[in-house]
Amino acid sequence: MKYLMKSFFVAAMAMAPVAAGAQSTIYIPNLAELSGAGAVSGTNWRDGIILAVEEINAKGGILGRKLDVPHVDTQSEASIARAQIQRMIDNKAYVVLGPVFSGSVLPSMELTKQAEIPQIMGGEAAAITQRGNPYIFRTAFGQQVSMPKIANYMRDGVKAKSVAVVWVNNDFGKGGRDAFTAEMRKRNIPVVADVSTESGQVDFASDVVKVKNANADAIFVYTNEEESARFLREARKQGIRAPLIGETTLLGQKVIELAGEAANGVKGHVGLTADAPVPALQEFGEKFKKRFGYANDHNGIKGYTAVYVIKHVTEKIGKFDSKAFAAALHGMTIKPSDEPGILMEATWDKNGDIDRQSFLGEVVAGKQKIVEILPKAGL
Amino acid sequence: MERARLVPLAIAAAVVLALALGPQFLRPSSLYLVSLWAVTAIAAMGLNLTLGYAGQISMAQGAFVGIGAYATAILMQQGVPFPAAFVAAGAICFGVGWLLGYPALRVQHHYLAFVTLAFTTLVYLLLRNEQWLTNGVYGISGIQRPVLFGVSFAKSADYYYFCLGMLAIFLGAMWWMIRSPWGRAFMVLRENPVRAMSLGVDTRRYTLLAFAIGSSIGGFAGGLFAPLVQFLEPGSFSLGYSLSLLLMVIVGGSGYLLGPLVGAMVAVLLPEFLRFTQGYYLLLYAAAVMILMTFCPQGLIGMAERIAAALRRRRTTATTGTH
Repeated sequence: MKYLMKSFFVAAMAMAPVAAGAQSTIYIPNLAELSGAGAVSGTNWRDGIILAVEEINAKGGILGRKLDVPHVDTQSEASIARAQIQRMIDNKAYVVLGPVFSGSVLPSMELTKQAEIPQIMGGEAAAITQRGNPYIFRTAFGQQVSMPKIANYMRDGVKAKSVAVVWVNNDFGKGGRDAFTAEMRKRNIPVVADVSTESGQVDFASDVVKVKNANADAIFVYTNEEESARFLREARKQGIRAPLIGETTLLGQKVIELAGEAANGVKGHVGLTADAPVPALQEFGEKFKKRFGYANDHNGIKGYTAVYVIKHVTEKIGKFDSKAFAAALHGMTIKPSDEPGILMEATWDKNGDIDRQSFLGEVVAGKQKIVEILPKAGL
Repeated sequence: MERARLVPLAIAAAVVLALALGPQFLRPSSLYLVSLWAVTAIAAMGLNLTLGYAGQISMAQGAFVGIGAYATAILMQQGVPFPAAFVAAGAICFGVGWLLGYPALRVQHHYLAFVTLAFTTLVYLLLRNEQWLTNGVYGISGIQRPVLFGVSFAKSADYYYFCLGMLAIFLGAMWWMIRSPWGRAFMVLRENPVRAMSLGVDTRRYTLLAFAIGSSIGGFAGGLFAPLVQFLEPGSFSLGYSLSLLLMVIVGGSGYLLGPLVGAMVAVLLPEFLRFTQGYYLLLYAAAVMILMTFCPQGLIGMAERIAAALRRRRTTATTGTH
């Protein structure tokens, strides 16, 4: 019983209000997947943010106030994300950063909307920006933007007459798969194999057999980082000949690292990459590597640019006003000439969707090589 | 003797008072966490009945919370009022739990654990793949908080009282049940099934009942979980959640009435308290649980009882010594 009491006090202490930050800082919490299934993406996202915050604070912060950006773990779990976003709202966040997994974005965005606090996040599921929420903003393409690009590439670049799809059965993979198959239907390209895989799956032998037997002209692989690498290794082992096509993740740095030689020859569309022939992106890649000792993937760029979006918009409106921030970012275009930290020109539409240039690339000798720059989609 | 009774009563009164005053000094995020604790404690209480009192190991409690949560959410979105949806959630889980009890008649211990483990995986796959019903991996969002007799529980403070009220009701019901002939029958099932049978206890019926009642309490907890989080996705109810509930029952003290409450406190609130350690909080939490299990396998309540007994013994020897 004594322990019951003790634990209760311990818990009560844990819930005591956090002292509000001093006036000299501005509270911009980051909610991210730092453990659990989303840890690879969440950690990259966090480190991108750390880099930007350090740079901005070294130069005196935003409008004279330093950034106070605590990094809070969701454990990749919706009910925990819900609790933490509430805490950020209670602490009167100016803007909320994250999360990266769409499964945690969906429960948190309702709350930030009610509290009228802008949320700049890394989720790519199409559904996020289709709910008329004026406070949610993307840092990367939604699937409704990236899938048409990959579909065009399948038709015009690969000249595929049939395709196989391998996808991870979570909200990210299923959303991508649904959008992709719809785009294929529009272009009259039959999907001859539709293979669902598990998050955290280790053995892809039977999936590769299925894909191989389908004899498609091209194989579209849409899974998270670790699973992508495992699939590539198995595909190489079984000697798959058809081109393996991916969307950002499959050509990402993390996958190349994990898959090793098996990643060579992979092609596809890349939303964001430090290997793009854009000096600002390459510079960022080097800075990142120097600071954290590993090469970033697209999530690092997403996190980094998100902080600079806050800086630019706030300086533009000239005050820390959450509502005015959200209103101002809709329809705004930020150019690297105005804000170098944005790295590439980007435009946000009325739904919070982002538009910018993207790339077609392939993996050559263990390195991502960009072969073509695609123009803005023109949302 | 007097004092031995007064101390727990005083502690209970203090806890109830603190919880009642919660909204006065806690912010919505903390109220949410305490509500989550209450809901989780109810789910663990159901498992405590199946595991702690009746001795039937189950790794399916998380699945029942999932079934209850989805049933409530889906029915509410079809326009069914909350009370009916809530009762339906419990009833569905009672039926499914009864059916899951049948394997328990044939297998025991870790074999039963595997059967229930398979069931949890099955439920997860159903929740994920039957998109027409559950919206699959996209999950169900926008679940409304209940309105009862014209009173809305939409605000965090109101729903907090609602969850705590429910916890009190379930705690009372459990207290009554374990003192009733049913409770005694469950316990004899755990201690010695052969003797139970020879005493005329219908072990078959009580095994099924232990599963069904424990599961339906899980379903009710799910019915509270859905409007609390207001978002459901299949991943929340995968095997990890069932294991976590199992952990709560064992850490709190399996077979003790208050065990699940303490266990849920450790599982829900302790990681939050440790958050100030940044990246280490889950590590520290895991270490704390391991140390706890090594030194007091009967759980926290078991340990508290042992300490209390030791203190009493010392006091008795002290008094006899002076005379």
